[in-house]
Amino acid sequence: MSNPLIKNEKFVQYAAPLFVGVLFMALWEITVRALDVAPYILPGPVAIFQALGENWESLLKALLVTLKVTFLAFFISVVLGVACSLLFIQSKWIEVSLFPYAILMQVTPIVAIAPLIIIWINDTTWALTVCAVIMAIFPVISNTTLGLRSVDPNLLNMFRMYRASRWQELTRLRIPGALPYFFGGLRISSGLALIGAVVAEFVAGTGGAKAGLAYMILQSSYNLQIPKMFAALFLITGTGILLFALMVWLSDLALRNWHESALKTEN
Amino acid sequence: MTIPGSVPDTEDSTAVISSAENASARPVIQARSVDKVYANGTIALKGADLDIKQGEFVSLLGPSGCGKSTLLRIMAGLGDVTTGSVKWWEQDYDVVGDKGRKLAFVFQNATLMPWAKVRGNVRLPLDLEKDSGPACEQKIDQALNMVGLSNFGESYPRELSGGMQMRASIARALVTEPNLLLMDEPFGALDEMTRNKLNDDILELWQANGWTIVFVTHSVYEAVYLSSRVVVMAARPGRIVEEITIDEPFPRGPEFRVSQNFAEYCRRVSESLEKASTMGQEQSQ
Repeated sequence: MSNPLIKNEKFVQYAAPLFVGVLFMALWEITVRALDVAPYILPGPVAIFQALGENWESLLKALLVTLKVTFLAFFISVVLGVACSLLFIQSKWIEVSLFPYAILMQVTPIVAIAPLIIIWINDTTWALTVCAVIMAIFPVISNTTLGLRSVDPNLLNMFRMYRASRWQELTRLRIPGALPYFFGGLRISSGLALIGAVVAEFVAGTGGAKAGLAYMILQSSYNLQIPKMFAALFLITGTGILLFALMVWLSDLALRNWHESALKTEN
Repeated sequence: MTIPGSVPDTEDSTAVISSAENASARPVIQARSVDKVYANGTIALKGADLDIKQGEFVSLLGPSGCGKSTLLRIMAGLGDVTTGSVKWWEQDYDVVGDKGRKLAFVFQNATLMPWAKVRGNVRLPLDLEKDSGPACEQKIDQALNMVGLSNFGESYPRELSGGMQMRASIARALVTEPNLLLMDEPFGALDEMTRNKLNDDILELWQANGWTIVFVTHSVYEAVYLSSRVVVMAARPGRIVEEITIDEPFPRGPEFRVSQNFAEYCRRVSESLEKASTMGQEQSQ
């Protein structure tokens, strides 16, 4: 066991899950072949990757459509969510009056209101974006508000003793202190933006030039092109994982000097 | 300002401050019949009268719940009194922060901003007062130097030991060159060796700079060792029971810790505390 690669933490971090994935797919392929399962019931990984290759162009186009809605929704959620949090911390009254409505948005099933939104908003991209925002904004609001409120009371006292302005208090104390919470919110929200985009598209069922991955899945299932359906699904989950990894990376970049979440501790 | 290590010459008569010489000094804090009742009905402080004079080192000593931290916070302007009055330099709180009337507070925990380097933390009070420029950098250097952290300006708080974090916190208090330094059990969480070292350092800085210090502690030894006067407090309700002058010359060093007089003062202060606590129990029954 003296292989230096095994001892390399970074290598293990990537290699171990990759190994599990490859093993799983191999077992999957073997099982499908051994039991002779029809590809329209459960295709093996080989068939799925074949479908991915054959339909590359249309899938990529659909992916870009979904990505556009996802990123637009995520960006709006972050900007609007942070703005809401900043508003909430201005006074307890504002927070108490408005926070229940933020929760309302969170608990309303998007599938139930998506048809309405699609009727109200003519432009499909924007309709889908609004649905995805409704899904993704809550973690940003709740986490950022919590972060902005979770200030060391003694530090706050000190700021007040030195007669810090509200602006100084916000920019020098509350915002830096809220960053770990904010990034925690981003991790959840990025995934939700993607799910929101896909779910809304399922409801909208948009075809043509604006067809996204959800429409691909719908179409493929109607046509019993199950490998293609899996290929689209694979792209969605892949995107979700990449988004999450991007958020982790951003968070580490911002917090690596001081916050426990981004620090390596040795015992 | 001087640097720790450069112990003031003991031959120099101005370095030796006895409380008798302080008697005519000008008042820094005057608290009169101060009551503090919290919203939940807790009487934190009842009828507290206290005078702090220029250049004194006063310790507030007492058990938990005796209102010593409350009194200190009132002196810092961090809470209003319920009844009674407090004067700063014989005036209202508005005067605090003016030249020659600067106040600094050292909390029980280091209370540093974890996202800022030590230098950034020490710079904070100057930033908040919108003070910048080369003179400001010099002040930061001096403050770091005074607490022996010159080489740690670029470190993050998490990279420092508990004692060093406390030093950084003290440097932050010193950077504005305060006239009144309020310290709320600043060394309570430290081990005894570090605590003794910091006690000596703070005494040295106090002497060299002519500050006034109010120091909250629950350690009899620490109070006697540091102070020119010990204010003994009791709980339920929080109140001042006795003021004991520690009439021993400064600078004080390790030899004072083992002297007969030190033991005698400790005994007296302990007795006073003991008496206060039994009185409190009788009252509450």
